[in-house]
Amino acid sequence: MNAILRLEHVSKSFVGVKAMQDISFDLRAGEVHCLCGENGAGKSTLIKVLSGAHQPDEGSIYFEGEKVTLTPHLALKLGIQTIYQEHIVFDSLSVMENIFMGLELARGGFLDRREMRRQTVEVLRYLKADISPETILDRLSSGQQKTVEIAKGLVFKRKAIILDEPTASYSAGEIDNLLEIIKAVRASGIGIIYISHHLDEVFRLADRVTVLRDGRKVSHYEIQGLSKTQLIKDMVGRDPSTFYQRESVPIGEVVLEARHLTGHGVRDVSFMLRRGEVLGFAGMTGSGRSELMELLFGSAPLDGGELFIGGRRVRHASPRASIRNRMCFITEDRQNSGLFLEQTIAENVMVANMVNTREFFASPKEDLRTGDGFIRKLGIKAKDARVRAMTLSGGNQQKVVLAKWFNTDGDIFIFDEPTKGIDVNSKQEIYQLMVGLLRAGKAIIMVSSDMPEVISMSDRVAVMKDGEMVGLIEKGAITEESILTLSIGDKAV
Amino acid sequence: MNDRASLEPRNGSRLSLFKRHENLTVTIIFVCFVTIIAVLQLIITGGKYPTFLSPVNLLNILQQVSVPGIVAVGMTMVMIAGGIDLSVGMLASLVSIVTALGVSKWNLGVWGSILVGVATAVALESAMGFIISRVKVEPFIITLGGMITFQGIALLLCNSREVIMKGELNFIKANLIAGAKDPVTGLNLVIPPYVLAFFLIAFLAGILLKYTKFGRRIYAVGNNPNAAFLAGINVRAMRLSVYAIIGLLVGLAAVMLLSRINVGIITLGQGLEIDTIAMVVIGGTALKGGKGNILGTLIGVFFLGSIGNAMNMLRLPSEVQFVAKGLVIVVAVSAGHVSAAVSEFMSRRRKVPLPLPAAEVKQV
Repeated sequence: MNAILRLEHVSKSFVGVKAMQDISFDLRAGEVHCLCGENGAGKSTLIKVLSGAHQPDEGSIYFEGEKVTLTPHLALKLGIQTIYQEHIVFDSLSVMENIFMGLELARGGFLDRREMRRQTVEVLRYLKADISPETILDRLSSGQQKTVEIAKGLVFKRKAIILDEPTASYSAGEIDNLLEIIKAVRASGIGIIYISHHLDEVFRLADRVTVLRDGRKVSHYEIQGLSKTQLIKDMVGRDPSTFYQRESVPIGEVVLEARHLTGHGVRDVSFMLRRGEVLGFAGMTGSGRSELMELLFGSAPLDGGELFIGGRRVRHASPRASIRNRMCFITEDRQNSGLFLEQTIAENVMVANMVNTREFFASPKEDLRTGDGFIRKLGIKAKDARVRAMTLSGGNQQKVVLAKWFNTDGDIFIFDEPTKGIDVNSKQEIYQLMVGLLRAGKAIIMVSSDMPEVISMSDRVAVMKDGEMVGLIEKGAITEESILTLSIGDKAV
Repeated sequence: MNDRASLEPRNGSRLSLFKRHENLTVTIIFVCFVTIIAVLQLIITGGKYPTFLSPVNLLNILQQVSVPGIVAVGMTMVMIAGGIDLSVGMLASLVSIVTALGVSKWNLGVWGSILVGVATAVALESAMGFIISRVKVEPFIITLGGMITFQGIALLLCNSREVIMKGELNFIKANLIAGAKDPVTGLNLVIPPYVLAFFLIAFLAGILLKYTKFGRRIYAVGNNPNAAFLAGINVRAMRLSVYAIIGLLVGLAAVMLLSRINVGIITLGQGLEIDTIAMVVIGGTALKGGKGNILGTLIGVFFLGSIGNAMNMLRLPSEVQFVAKGLVIVVAVSAGHVSAAVSEFMSRRRKVPLPLPAAEVKQV
């Protein structure tokens, strides 16, 4: 076959994690080859190997039949372009300048703007994109910006284009547009590797599909005759007995009720939360889970809907009000929104509880005692509470964030990706701390993209898709398959 | 997932001396500086007591640094909260002109004029603080605009002329220890009230920053505004209030400055912003906010204040003084970072490899 790119038995590990194991893969000219798999299946690593960002530990890469050692520079030179999920564009420059950035055409030492413009117009016309070459990039929608990146691939006659979740946060109309553009690119003979969590896109575009799971290649299909159920079945399939076994805790009365919450990209979400339970929120990246949590905590404004805590209607205008209503929010991005890295453990621990105390004066001595107390209670590996948060490891930093919220004596805990980037041992410790909360009669809302975590920790699982809650799975029915079917399949499944 | 557990603990249990006592580096440099000057003087004068260290000169330095020192205290708070204020110099000029006009032209009485002057400063700084806390524009730009605007207002008020007073504010610079003599030089010793005011203000600000919830919140906002907001801190109100506070301090400082020279004039506060920012930064406050303390700022104030004085003692020409002053600032500020980097490097060498960045591990 006329494969442009071929991987043979490629493996790649990071500090003990086998991200890719013995994966073989090929891409032909003029086809769309889709990569499917859950979060953490190894898709990103595969892309990074193909774009030269990572070197494989074992196995070999062939480009048009010749063995190559890819570097990002060589990959581009050979004609492999990777378009990442987040845009890497120059906001304040025009479409044309973005396309030719770093590879400007020149004549006699001066930029040949006329030729650059001609080529830009030609490619944009071929893609049927209604964009003028002079438009400044930040005036374009994110879909149009993606089109510009794809146009760059055409202008420079790339041979392979890799698209990593290009439609992650797009409107339906934009997605249709983009799919048409990708079809046009395919028709020009370029090979496309396409990664998406949306199975309907996969079925509309793909010529072939490869499924990855836990760093291994599970299956490979031609699209004809392939069914969605088969695809989902391949993507799941971990053994649940290997998951963390959580002890169960008696469930009490309702402490929080959300009715038709709308705003911040979330539409009409309703649910109840009871004492002693973990309500898991599953869904793909960009499905609106974190946004929903921000609505609950009052850090984003609510456009509609009602929120009840302990049977009383509350209007959370700010995190300040939520903390007074005994809510806690352990955010996904510890460093950016959870920790005060330059400050000591003691100062981190006391900061949220300031809302609840009336005194004008603070007592550094007492804060140190409180901090030392939490260091012992949560097993934070630090000499004392005078240690700055930045010197701690990920797991210990997360414990400091937990201590900050435990210190407010809250009732309702929101955990957004509680164990992201944390090693296995600390993970278990954090699960145990969460169970401890349940035993103390607290309630937990947990957003997680880690499937085993969702399944082992949750009493019920709410599944989000495109800003809506598409289903609520009760205890007995929580499986990888039921969650995945709701989060990527058709709504009607 | 990975075996990072085996690499733990990477905790800060072995803080170096310099990290534990953040003001130590600058203090050492300061002490070295003083020693060098004293020794140089000893050599030049052939063994006589170095006049640089004589009580009369030390009190002299105190008088010179008190006014910028008060502003530096305010600047410390603003910078810990993650801001900066370039307008303090022109604002001080404006306040001096307003107060001088109040006394000599508008007949507001001494206290009335002081009140109007200080209130002007608080109001204008609060206005800038309001804009900074609501709009996503760098405080650098907003206060730069403020600086130019204040200059314009001041010039309009005084018709670009100086406003002369007849010593109505002399009580601010009265000598509290009249009659005391310096045992070394035999000259009169002077401690005016504004020097005491400086220490009082520095003391109160130190307490405020370290021992009140308000102070802790200033650090939190400067360190991580997102996390501060999610921890229930009213970030906007905090940003506004540090500017209101520096307004109050600039107002007071300007009145003191006015009392010293008795003329309300546009050049009165010239360069004040540069001097105070230099003092604060020498004292270890980070430009990006979240870090710093009043003790460090005091060291910075005395350090910068004594440089000029010491050069005069050594009879260096003023051109050379500029060069030396600039170099000292660069050395003092870099030294803190260098010592931090060195101790970081040492502690890394002692332990084994750092864990991978969290993102790298997770994105598999």
